[in-house]
Parts: sequence; C-alpha cells; structure tokens
Amino acid sequence: MLVELAAETNILRIDWVKFTFGLIALAVVYFFVARKAVPKVMKVLDERHDAIEGGIERAQRAETEAEEIRQQYREKLEEAHREYAQELEKAKEQRAAIIAEAREEAQVEARRIVEAAQAQIEADRQQAFVQLRNEIGSLSTDLAGRIVGETLEDSAAQNRVVDRFLEELEQNESTEQAEVR
Amino acid sequence: MSADARFLAAEPGCHLFPGEGEAGCGFEAPSVGMFSPEPWLGGIPGSDGIDLYLVLLLVALGASLLLWSWFSKKLNLVPGRRQGVGEMFVLFIRDQITRPTMGAKGDKFIPLMTAIFTLILFMNVSGLIPGMLPVNSDLSFPAMFALFIFVLTLVVGMRQQGGWGYIRNQIFPPGMPKPIYILVTPIEALSVFLIRPLTHALRLFATMFAGSLLLAVFAYGGWYMLSLGAEPALAGLSVLFSGAALIGYLLFFLFEILIMLVQAFIFTLLASLYLNGSLESAH
Repeated sequence: MLVELAAETNILRIDWVKFTFGLIALAVVYFFVARKAVPKVMKVLDERHDAIEGGIERAQRAETEAEEIRQQYREKLEEAHREYAQELEKAKEQRAAIIAEAREEAQVEARRIVEAAQAQIEADRQQAFVQLRNEIGSLSTDLAGRIVGETLEDSAAQNRVVDRFLEELEQNESTEQAEVR
Repeated sequence: MSADARFLAAEPGCHLFPGEGEAGCGFEAPSVGMFSPEPWLGGIPGSDGIDLYLVLLLVALGASLLLWSWFSKKLNLVPGRRQGVGEMFVLFIRDQITRPTMGAKGDKFIPLMTAIFTLILFMNVSGLIPGMLPVNSDLSFPAMFALFIFVLTLVVGMRQQGGWGYIRNQIFPPGMPKPIYILVTPIEALSVFLIRPLTHALRLFATMFAGSLLLAVFAYGGWYMLSLGAEPALAGLSVLFSGAALIGYLLFFLFEILIMLVQAFIFTLLASLYLNGSLESAH
C-alpha cells in the first residue's frame, strides 16, 4: 500500500507509455506541419512578395516608358516648333523675294511702257511735225499763190521758198525760247 | 489517499456549514493525486496505463492537425481573414522565435518550431476545460519534448561542427583567458548537458502543474464553502465566500490562459536558442 501510494503520487515520474505517445503525437504534427501546412503558407507568402515586387517593377517600367515617351513628344514638339519657325522664315524670305521681283518687274514694265510711250510720242511728234511742215508748205504756197495771184509751178522754187520760210520761223521760235529762258 | 481523493471535497453532503442532520466534515484540498487519474487500461508494465492524459493528448493532436489543415486550405494571393491569421502564425514563429535566435539559417526549423509550439499550446490549453488537466502537467510529456530537443541539438551540433568540435565549443567557450576554463568548463558542461534539458522540461511541467492545482483549489474550495443547506444566515455567508472563490477562480483562469501561451512560447524559444548553439561554431 505504501509503495503504491508513493508510486502514484510521485509527480516526477516519467511514464514510458506517455513518453512514447507524446513522441508519436509530435512526429505526426511535425510531419503534417512540415509537409503540408508551412510550405503552403510560405509559398503563398513568397508568391505574394513576388507579385508585389513585380507590380512595383512593372509600375517603375511603365513610369520610365512614359517619361521616355514624354521626352520624345517634347523633342518632336520642339522640332515642329523649330521647323515651323524655319518655314515661317523661309516664307517671309520668299514673300520678300516675290515682292521684290514683282516690284522690279513692275518697274521694268513701267519703264518700258514709259519708254514706249515716249517713243510713240516722239514718233507722233515727228510725224505730226513732218505732216505739219508739208501742210504748212502747201498751205503757205496756196496762200501765197492766191495772194500773189500766180501759181508757182516750179516745185523746186516752191520748196526753196518754203524751207527758207520755215527756217526763219524756227529761228524766231528758238530765239523766243531763249529769251523766255 | 487514492486518485479519487479530489472528488471527496466535491461530494454533495460535504460543505463548510453542515445543514440539519448532516455531519460536518473538513475540507480536503485537491492534492497531487489529481494528477494521477484512474487508468482505463492498466496492467502495462512500468506504466500507469492508458488514462485521461493520453485521451487529452489525442485531443490536442487532433486540434493541432485541424488547426493547420484549416490554416492551409485554399490559400490565395489575396488572403482572407482565416488565411491572414494562419500566415501571421507562421510569421510569428519565424520573426519572434527562429529569426531572433538562429537568424536566416534557422528558417529550416520553422516547421519544427511551429509543430512544437502548436502541440504544446494545445497540450497546455486542455487544462482550461473544466475537470480536465493540462497534458503537460504530467512530466512525461515535457520531458519528451525537452529530450527530443536535447538529442536534436546534439545531432545538429555534431553534424555542423564535428563530434568533438561541438562538445569543445560548448564546454570551452572561446575568447577567455586559459585559467578561467578551470572554472568555466565544469559549469558549462553541467549547464549544457544536464541543467538545460532538465530545466527545459521542468519549467513547462511545473507551471502547468502548479497552475491547474491552483485552479482546482479555487474550484473545490468554492464548492466546499457553498452551504445552501445550512441555516439562512450561514448560507448567505457561504454564498459570499464562494462568490469570492469564484472571482479568484476566474481571475486565475485568465492568468492561466496567459501562462499557457507564454510557456508554450518560452519552451519553443528556448528550443530555438539551444539549436542555435549547434548551428554556430562559436556562441
């Protein structure tokens, strides 16, 4: 009885059956946790980590890409501005050139017209002068003949008279002009 | 005094103030006998046989397996509440137990530490069921855990550092003046190969043992003091007494939950710490 009591109340005894069953329980839990649970959880944690890292990487890549495109766009815009300015400059030059050319042409044309007009006038004047001279000649002769009552048939003589007359007239005229000046 | 001694105090007729025609009887506090439940299957040589402890062990084992199969089913990249808690559990083992003691090279022990922590926790928590005991209040189980860890530290240490190398690193801590070793070596040898595994087991056992004994005292005492059969004045007083005992019981119940958690954590942390001595050549 005493031995039994001592055995029953010895709290520091180690029972091999309990020990063994405890070890088996630990082994079962360990194999379950180590084979199934923890690797699955770790895998998901790693996957999530990768997904987040990948997301950040993708975002960074997109950002750099956007920055590149923005840069390109800006360059293109600047180029377009530059081209536009060049075109404008060129157009201005062309306009100036066209205007200058047109002006020159106009001037040439004007000069030509003026010259032609002057030549025409000169010719007309000459013609008028010659005609006038002839008419004045014949008129004067007629007049003189009627006044004198005789007809000067001799044309040579007639011409001589007329020429002399005209010369006198011219002389008078030039002296008058000289005097006026 | 048999294992049933603890039930004597709880017998209906035995209260602080005996009623009419009842014989008064003294309070028999719960004794260590409560940790030796009657075996259902005795006769195993050198053993107490199959008793409540092994049933509770089975329950703790089942609970551990259920918990981890629940935590590890249908895992998604975007975690739900259940998965979040499971992940927190694993990360807790990693960031609070293996990483601080062993660093990243201890990551291969995460499953083992998770298993030990979970199993010990459930083996402690079984004591919260009224009338039951923490499985670890029988020294056999903490001793099994501690011995397992001790053997594991030896195996891992000798593999990592060589048979003599491991022992030398343990009992001759490097970086000390030679004469000091006369003092240090026996202490270290005793500490590493005897005291460590012993205290490792005893710490868990003693806290569970004392905690459940304390709870039992409050429960039995409260029941003993409740004397509803006595005359009204005394019955009222007895209600006051057992009310105080109930409050004490509830407070220590909460405290016990904390201790069960903390002891499971400390056991696992120490196991991890001892393993670190095997992984590192010098500590």
